Amino acid sequence: MHISEGVLSAPVLVTGAAFAAAGISIGLKKMGYEKIPQVAVLSSAFFVASLIHVPIGPSSVHLILNGINGLLLGWLCFPSILVALALQAILFQFGGITVLGINTVNMALPGVICYYLFGKLVNREGGLLSLVAAFACGFLSVCFSGILVAISLVFTEQSFMSVAKLIILAHLPVMIIEGIITLFCVAFLKRVKPEVLGGIYGKGA
Amino acid sequence: MEKGHNIQIYLIILFLASILVISNNLPALAHKVIIFAWVEGDTVFTESKFSGGREATGAQVLVFDRMGKQLLEGKTNNKGEFSFKIPKLTDLRIVLNAGMGHKAEWKIPESEIQEESGVLGSKMATESSQPVAVGLSKAEIKELIEESLDRKLRPIVRMMTESQSKGPSVTEIVGGIGYIFGLMGLVLYFKNRGKKRNLKKQDD
Repeated sequence: MHISEGVLSAPVLVTGAAFAAAGISIGLKKMGYEKIPQVAVLSSAFFVASLIHVPIGPSSVHLILNGINGLLLGWLCFPSILVALALQAILFQFGGITVLGINTVNMALPGVICYYLFGKLVNREGGLLSLVAAFACGFLSVCFSGILVAISLVFTEQSFMSVAKLIILAHLPVMIIEGIITLFCVAFLKRVKPEVLGGIYGKGA
Repeated sequence: MEKGHNIQIYLIILFLASILVISNNLPALAHKVIIFAWVEGDTVFTESKFSGGREATGAQVLVFDRMGKQLLEGKTNNKGEFSFKIPKLTDLRIVLNAGMGHKAEWKIPESEIQEESGVLGSKMATESSQPVAVGLSKAEIKELIEESLDRKLRPIVRMMTESQSKGPSVTEIVGGIGYIFGLMGLVLYFKNRGKKRNLKKQDD
């Protein structure tokens, strides 16, 4: 879902960069001392996830992991994803430097949205409901990313609906896999280190 | 609180259901796309691939000249290939537009086209005029060598295409992770310095 360089027009790029800057500044403000290692770990996870291709389905797509990023980091997933995307652009030539801003927004914003939608639900005591919410978090964050990519391409491609439909359908297997990954991550963290999940909400960060 | 949760769950179920209903044919898409082009005789061959090795099928290919004027356009076949006769002796810029924000280009300089098409033209001329040659002229030897080189190099050209579309290496991956943790250390260091300074101020 990385948008290549030279596809988007300058106004779209600038708008994307502005949104990214806003998100990153919020994220950096909220980044407490004890959160930094967690941001780094999730950033690396995001960085590597793009190399894991999902061969199921009609096309070749890769994992994104922006759901679990958003769920565990909230606004902090903006800086986390920015760093990962910058390194992907430099080392793997995925995306590019000029499109860094818009790509960051496309990936990080759904994470933040899912954090607000499902954060409290995931964190609740009680097994099934929180697991369903975790699945939905992983699933929907990829879906929202697809919609955002389609929106950014509105000025380049013919129609928003057809592009959005194409992207979302192609990522359907990824959505399901990310949902399952998020579900297992949450289940694991709840048992082993519940304060990782509870930490953000407890301090109201 | 409980009501809010119920609404969330309904929304989730509704969404899952609506997604499962839609179905369609899809082109391949990934995060990076590559087009590779080479000249053989009077034809330009192109191959388009997504990183991860899948071919870019049915993608639009545009060919521009040096001035940026569009010469022709076409679509890749189901192997991601597209070939066309050289329309004009000029630098060619071949742009692949695979849709959904995926774009790549490849340039063929005029000199490459000249060399290739020159070889072809003179080869035809000599083949018809001299069936049995007693002694070979310099030009003929050159032709023969180039012809066989072409044939021998074709697999290497293919290999290059494939290596271009290969994913990142282990060093790059490990390097990237290293960068992230290096950054983490840097941020921690600066935050820590700020903390110490604050503590000192409090002591004073």
